[in-house]
Order: sequence, then C-alpha cells, then structure tokens
Amino acid sequence: MSRVVEIPASLDDRSFEQFAQAFALGSMTDRMVFDARAAQWASPFGLLAMLTAGQAVREAGGPAPAFTVPLAEEVRRYWARTGFFQHAAGLFDLKGRLPRVRPDEHSDVLLDVTPVRASEDVHAVVGKIQEGAARILHGELGLEAKATMGFAMALSEACQNIVEHAGTGGWVAVHAYTFRRRLGRRVVVIAVSDAGVGFRRSLEPTQARRFGDRWGDGAALEAAVIQNVSRFRDPGRGQGIAGIKRYLTRWQGKLSIRSGTARIVIVPDWDDDAPMTEQLAPFPGAQVQIVIPAQEGAGA
Amino acid sequence: MRQTIRVEQVLRESVCTPYRDLVTRSTGRAVRCSIQQALAAGAPVVALLDFSEVGLVDFSCADEIIAKLLLDGSGGTFLMLQGLREEQLEAIEHVLSHHDLAALVHDRVSGACRPVGRLSADHHAAFESLQAVGPATAPALAERIGWNGARSAEVLVALARLRLVQVEHDSYSIPLA
Repeated sequence: MSRVVEIPASLDDRSFEQFAQAFALGSMTDRMVFDARAAQWASPFGLLAMLTAGQAVREAGGPAPAFTVPLAEEVRRYWARTGFFQHAAGLFDLKGRLPRVRPDEHSDVLLDVTPVRASEDVHAVVGKIQEGAARILHGELGLEAKATMGFAMALSEACQNIVEHAGTGGWVAVHAYTFRRRLGRRVVVIAVSDAGVGFRRSLEPTQARRFGDRWGDGAALEAAVIQNVSRFRDPGRGQGIAGIKRYLTRWQGKLSIRSGTARIVIVPDWDDDAPMTEQLAPFPGAQVQIVIPAQEGAGA
Repeated sequence: MRQTIRVEQVLRESVCTPYRDLVTRSTGRAVRCSIQQALAAGAPVVALLDFSEVGLVDFSCADEIIAKLLLDGSGGTFLMLQGLREEQLEAIEHVLSHHDLAALVHDRVSGACRPVGRLSADHHAAFESLQAVGPATAPALAERIGWNGARSAEVLVALARLRLVQVEHDSYSIPLA
C-alpha cells in the first residue's frame, strides 16, 4: 500500500511545513503517492520542494513516487509553463493529463525550473536571468537599474551553495508575482533547493565542537547565515551569504533558509516571520528563498 | 613596464564559456591562474586588469581573482583595476574589506588612480598628495600635509605594504605616475 503525501492547495514556504511533515511520516523508500489534485497554486519554493523530495527518494533508492497532477487546468498549465513537469517526469510517475505549453518570453516566470549541478549551470542561469530581471526589477518593481546586477549576484551565490556544499545537484527557479497576504505588492522570488547534505552536516567537522551541546540544524544555520562561517578554512569563504544579506538590506528583501529541521530568516520590516524556528519536520538538503519587493509606490 | 590584461578575454580563453560574467569560484580560480601565468611571463612593473567587457562580477569570483592575486603578491607587480562599473566595484570592495586589503583603480580617461578597500582617511590623504603633488619621502609628506614625521612614515609604510605605492630610496610614489 502506498503512503499518501498530500500537496497543500497553496504550496509556499509556509505551507511547505505541512508537506514536509507528511513527507517525513515514513521512510523515503516507502511506496508513495504525491497527491496534488487539489493544488491551486505553488510558489517557486513549493515547486522546487516537490522536486527535491522526489530527488531525495531517488537518491535513497526508493521507488519513484506516483504524482497525481492538479485537477485544475490553469494550475497544470502554470506548472507546465514553469518547467516543473519536465523535471518531475524524471523523478515521479506522473498521473494525469499534462498540457503542452509554449514558452512565453514576457511571462512572470523569469527563470523556469532549472537544474544546478556544476559551475557551468550557474553561468547559464546568470546569463539567462539578466534581461528578464532588468525588465521586472526596474520596470515593474521600481528598483534602480543597478539592482539588477546585485540581484544576479545574489542568485549566483545562492546557486553556488549547491555546487560548493550540497554534494549533489539541486534546482533554481525565479518568478514574479503579487504577494497579497503579507505585503500587497509585487515581488520577485528566487528559490534554490537541493537534496544534499544540508548545513549541519556540511559544517559539522569544523563547527560542532565550538557550539557543543547547542549543535544542530539551527546552530549550523546561525553559523552560516549570521556568522558567515563556511566549512572551508580559506578565510575568503563565507562571503556569498554575506553578500546576499547586504543586497537584501539595501532593497528591503527577505532571506529564508531551511535545512534539516530548522529555518532561519533575515526578516525585513514589512514581514513578521520568526527569525529562527527549530524542531521542524526533517527535510533533505537546504531550501533557500529570496524575496525582493517592489519599492513603495511601484507596481502593486 | 606596463601590461594590460583584458579580463573578459582571459575568461573566454580559460573557461571556454559563451558568457562574459565572472561568477563562481571555479571560474575565478581558472581566470586567476591564467593571469598569474601572464604576469610570470611578462614580469611587468604594473599590470592593468581591464574589466571593460566583463558583465557580472560576483563575490566568490572577485575573491578568487582579486583578493587572491593581492594576497599572493603577484610576483612584485603592482595591480591596477580599470574599466569597472559601479556594481562590479562594489562586489570587489566588499571582498577587499573582508580581507583588509586595498587595490588601485585606474581611470582610463583621466589617467588618475584611486585606492579602494579598507583604508583610513590618513591613507587617502597621503595617497592623494602623492598623486597630486608627486613623490615624497616621509618627512617631505609630513611637511606637505602638516603631520608629524611618525604619522607620515606610518601611513606611507602601510600604503607600501598594501602595494598601493612604490618606494625607491625612501621616496614614495604612485606606480603609474
């Protein structure tokens, strides 16, 4: 009998916890069904989380989970347009009719779901994003033209975390949409996710002793995100996340990183998220989300 | 002797990429090694690293190229950066500050240089004086700026250690001047 992992109707970084709990309820080698029939929407973070779960199952040697696609036609079309199904097909046994969609150069999908495994992938992502990012960040969100370069830098550094630390491949996606619930403004969201070793295992050899009894997923995230610590002894390391934070401070952006059982957030003024949450359901690898909001007075 | 190194060309030759962005550590390492080879072959007094055709420069790549070239000493060559856009320079300055380093930025149009990185007001004042008025010994600079001799000597030694000025027979000067 298969274990059912229900996909929340609206899957984003918050409802992700429901999904992670359901996913963690048994072994990764269980026969599973990811039930997305009731899905109405998924953020790039949500789309990558589902792929990451599928990747983790495959890497654990489990049988490919079945994946029942959303019943709503417009949801299926949107997910297809993001490139989700194209990659999901390699990880899941997809059940349901998939739409054929043509790429739309002017859509809100700035970067469709893209695998990141090596340095060349980061080059390709950065090369591909710049024109679309300029259109959205400057044209719609009202950021200065130079914000585009910083945005691409933040994207590059976030993707490099996979190449440098995950020990396996991952995914990146960038979408623009209106953040109605918390902000009421347009945002651009970068999501990066991998099914790799996570921050705790990456930093354990060099940092665990320093933290003593406090050592865990939360302490590892604190070391990496607040103290800019890296697993490498090279003193030049650890600047990637520091650079992302610097960029986000300038543009009132938000950074959240979830790894293992903890989640850390650099919280901007417009949000009330918890800076650190621990004892969450375990989830493989690391999931990064960067949110850049429209400047006040720009495209709501 | 002065040598100009077009960084975008080095990128294309070292990494065989269709892109002109300096991103990722592995790209940075490849570009730095190529630059080090060029410096070893040419042994110039001053090397101008020209970023004119380069797109994005991320922190990791800036660290691998600029910070490590400066930390390595570049075989005695004075490094100058030119053709940088504001956002590129910002990434480089972030990396320099992280390492307590400084670098020279050369303006192709005016021919002037300016130091960037973690520098004090005294460092900037001494550098500006050497550039505007010309080479000076520590006592001469002290008199020129109205400092005492110890302060002047300390600042000039620091600038020389950061390889922002050259020193010959106790006289300090800007490398390209």
